[in-house]
Amino acid sequence: MKKMWIILCILVFVLIFCKGEKVTEESGEVTITLGAYTVPKEAYEKEVIPAFKKFWLDKTGQSVRFEESYIASGAQSRAIASGFEADIAALSLEQDVERLRDIGLITHDWKSRKYNGFVTRSVVVIAYRVGNPKNIRNWQDLTREGVEVLYPNPKTSGGAMWDVNAIYGAGLKLSLGEKGIQDKDFAFQLLKSVQRNVKVMDRSGRASVTTFENGIGDVLITYENEVLLRRKEGRNMEYVIPEATILIENPIAVIDQNVDKHGNRPAVEAFVDYVLSVDSQRNFARYGFRPVNAEVAAEFQEQFPTPMLLFDIAFLGGWDRVQNEIFGTEGVWAKIIEELVYE
Amino acid sequence: MNRSNEMVKVIRQQRRLGKNILVAAVVIWFFFMILMPVFGIIREAFREGLDVFIAALTAPESIHSFVLTLWITMATVVINTVFGIILAITLVKQRFRGKLFVEGIVDLPFAVSPVVAGFMFILLFGPRGWLGSWFEAGGIKIVYALPGMLIATLFVTLPFVAREIIPVLKEFGLQQEESAYVLGASKWQTFWKVTLPSVKWGLAYGITLTIARSIGEFGAVLVVSGSIINKTQTATLHIHQQFTDYNYVGAFSAAIILAVASFIILTTMQRIYRQKGVD
Amino acid sequence: MNKPGFLKSLSWGGDLTLRSLSFFYVGLLIILPIAAITLEALRGGLGSLWRNILTPQAIYAIKLTFLTAFFMVVLNVITGTATAWVLVRYRFPLKNLMNALIDLPFAIPTVVTGIMLVALYGPKSILGGFLNKQGIEVVFDKPGIILALMYVSFPFVVRAVQPVLQEMDLDMEEAAKTLGASSFTIFRRIVVPTIIPAILTGAALSFSRAIGEFGSIAIISGNIPFKTQVASVYIYGELESYNQQGALGLSVALLFCSFLILVFLNRLQVWSRKHEQIQ
Repeated sequence: MKKMWIILCILVFVLIFCKGEKVTEESGEVTITLGAYTVPKEAYEKEVIPAFKKFWLDKTGQSVRFEESYIASGAQSRAIASGFEADIAALSLEQDVERLRDIGLITHDWKSRKYNGFVTRSVVVIAYRVGNPKNIRNWQDLTREGVEVLYPNPKTSGGAMWDVNAIYGAGLKLSLGEKGIQDKDFAFQLLKSVQRNVKVMDRSGRASVTTFENGIGDVLITYENEVLLRRKEGRNMEYVIPEATILIENPIAVIDQNVDKHGNRPAVEAFVDYVLSVDSQRNFARYGFRPVNAEVAAEFQEQFPTPMLLFDIAFLGGWDRVQNEIFGTEGVWAKIIEELVYE
Repeated sequence: MNRSNEMVKVIRQQRRLGKNILVAAVVIWFFFMILMPVFGIIREAFREGLDVFIAALTAPESIHSFVLTLWITMATVVINTVFGIILAITLVKQRFRGKLFVEGIVDLPFAVSPVVAGFMFILLFGPRGWLGSWFEAGGIKIVYALPGMLIATLFVTLPFVAREIIPVLKEFGLQQEESAYVLGASKWQTFWKVTLPSVKWGLAYGITLTIARSIGEFGAVLVVSGSIINKTQTATLHIHQQFTDYNYVGAFSAAIILAVASFIILTTMQRIYRQKGVD
Repeated sequence: MNKPGFLKSLSWGGDLTLRSLSFFYVGLLIILPIAAITLEALRGGLGSLWRNILTPQAIYAIKLTFLTAFFMVVLNVITGTATAWVLVRYRFPLKNLMNALIDLPFAIPTVVTGIMLVALYGPKSILGGFLNKQGIEVVFDKPGIILALMYVSFPFVVRAVQPVLQEMDLDMEEAAKTLGASSFTIFRRIVVPTIIPAILTGAALSFSRAIGEFGSIAIISGNIPFKTQVASVYIYGELESYNQQGALGLSVALLFCSFLILVFLNRLQVWSRKHEQIQ
């Protein structure tokens, strides 16, 4: 009796540790692990990955298995940094990829790839209620009394950082146009006035879209591709691209340490090249992402108008400076939060 | 005489009215607070009809997530029960330094936020972690794989069995074992025939809570698993993914399955409890 | 109680096995991980830890967490006791069904709870819209937080008090009634002292659950710093950005607080049980 129970217990333990490694690869099959952020899931899952599987099979006769994870960009970056063995990182922010290079997971200069290492683009837009009852045209309209604003928390959402950068940068850009210099105070006040009207700060960009759809708020600050995706899925979302807004660029990079460990470099490199190819870029465009490929961008010109005062992260001094000046513990955003408490 | 009879009647009516009001208040409150959200979930899950509901449930990621949850739950129950009993016996029957401390920390997992719990295990078992580096050298993946998820679930459910058994053992255990032993029973016989049955109700309740909590665990597993589709997504993570993908039917239909499963387990416990009353 | 014979007979290898297994279990799952985050939090030194915990935002989050938890516990104790009372002492239609459904909140994943509560009490809903017009904001404000906390901890008090009420001997109450005591006095003098330990247990469990609750709160609270941001969500935010130390520091501090409360309440229970036995 006793022996039987001991054997049973041992069996359970053995089973446990074997199950994790149970996935056996059939010979001639290669596995690619993709660690991505939440937003491009539909594009990858439904179009790009199936297309690549077929492409690779035709080309080499080898079948590809994909393991995919789509969680928030920062969280994904952290996961890969702390042991998630992704072969490719497709994230929202450049700095989330840079972090992986800093700790040695990426050993090549990923930015030297085609298109500076970016795979998709977008812009920050303002979505409003159908019919635009509050007559929203630009950032200043968001500072009016009685306008309730939604955007996610920059602490947890990489996308929200783009949103904050867009507003602050717009302040700088607008003052540049009017006064000839970048007026930091003006930008600060603009961001503060918008933040004052913020009702809810969800954990992620997607969550704030859901909150908006649940009837909260008059206005949602989000990325263009989110709005276009919802429209593609049949939701009637109306939006405006503000005159001054930021260009979002999303990086993709091969993670050398993991790829060398898995020995699947040819397939992985081919996948990244494929993602940057004309066909994939067209697929991304269909899902609302602005392509990095100029040729495809021209094809979709109408869908993706260029705002007059478009700027990018370089205009703000690059991510390192932004991380410090705007999101640091003594940064612009933290100061705004504190000031708003004492109002 | 007549007057005091009437007074008694009035008091009785007042008491009945009071009782009825209380019952009505409780029932109404319960209905609004607890039941209405559940109806909401059911309505949302079937919003697009039965076939969409079924399609969502039978999608490969969905099925995989249920199997994974089932597996983790079973393993958690077995391990926490076995070790919970061992721990309880040790704490009740042995004397050693630091015994009170050990007893106290059994409750600790209740005090830890799940996100922090997940983070703790990444710190400990990640490839650069205290213990993780050894596993990494041996080629065994703990975090972002099944073992890590199991460990996180073990952590958050640890107190349930232990807490139920320890007080019961304290109150009943020793005397009967003493007698059994004096009468010549071996250690194992004593354990199986005397110790275990004396704690069986507490054990059953503890196991039930463990199952329910394990099925519903979210924060810790989210952090520790990496949410890899068809690999490390439990049912709750699958629900979360569905929400993120705007697939509300998918999310709510899975939620219903989880709720029904947990609920069945919990009501079984209720029936067992009533049996206990009968015993 | 002196049992030298029994204990002596236990002192062989098996004892040591039990003890080492227990230490392994508790050590690996509880002591080590918590030591890991404590050390990680202290890495920058005690001074920087203090600074991290004492940022205005963190202090507000802690205050809000404890305040909402406290309110919720008070509400839970009242409604939970009333519910337990009604279930044990009275008969009414559908009583058995309601009794079975009490555990429902344990069966529903917390994320789903959050979403359902937002859908039910949000501005688009009937109830929510109505409350909004009266100037009461439920979701994305403090009432919503308390609501979600109540939902996920509701069964704790009920299930703790129920068995005690069930086992109560009604003789004393009958005697008091014949001696002319009012229902209220009976309740206050006889019932309440008996169920206080159970209430405290339920309260302690609800409280520690509330402090760590994340899934539902993350959805319903609005997460505005200095307004609707609770500790668990704040910690998550800090973990996700570059303030790991701050997040861990606060977690450890909170953990310590909850732990103290749990220990205190444990002692209180033991004391009141002893007190009752003496009577």
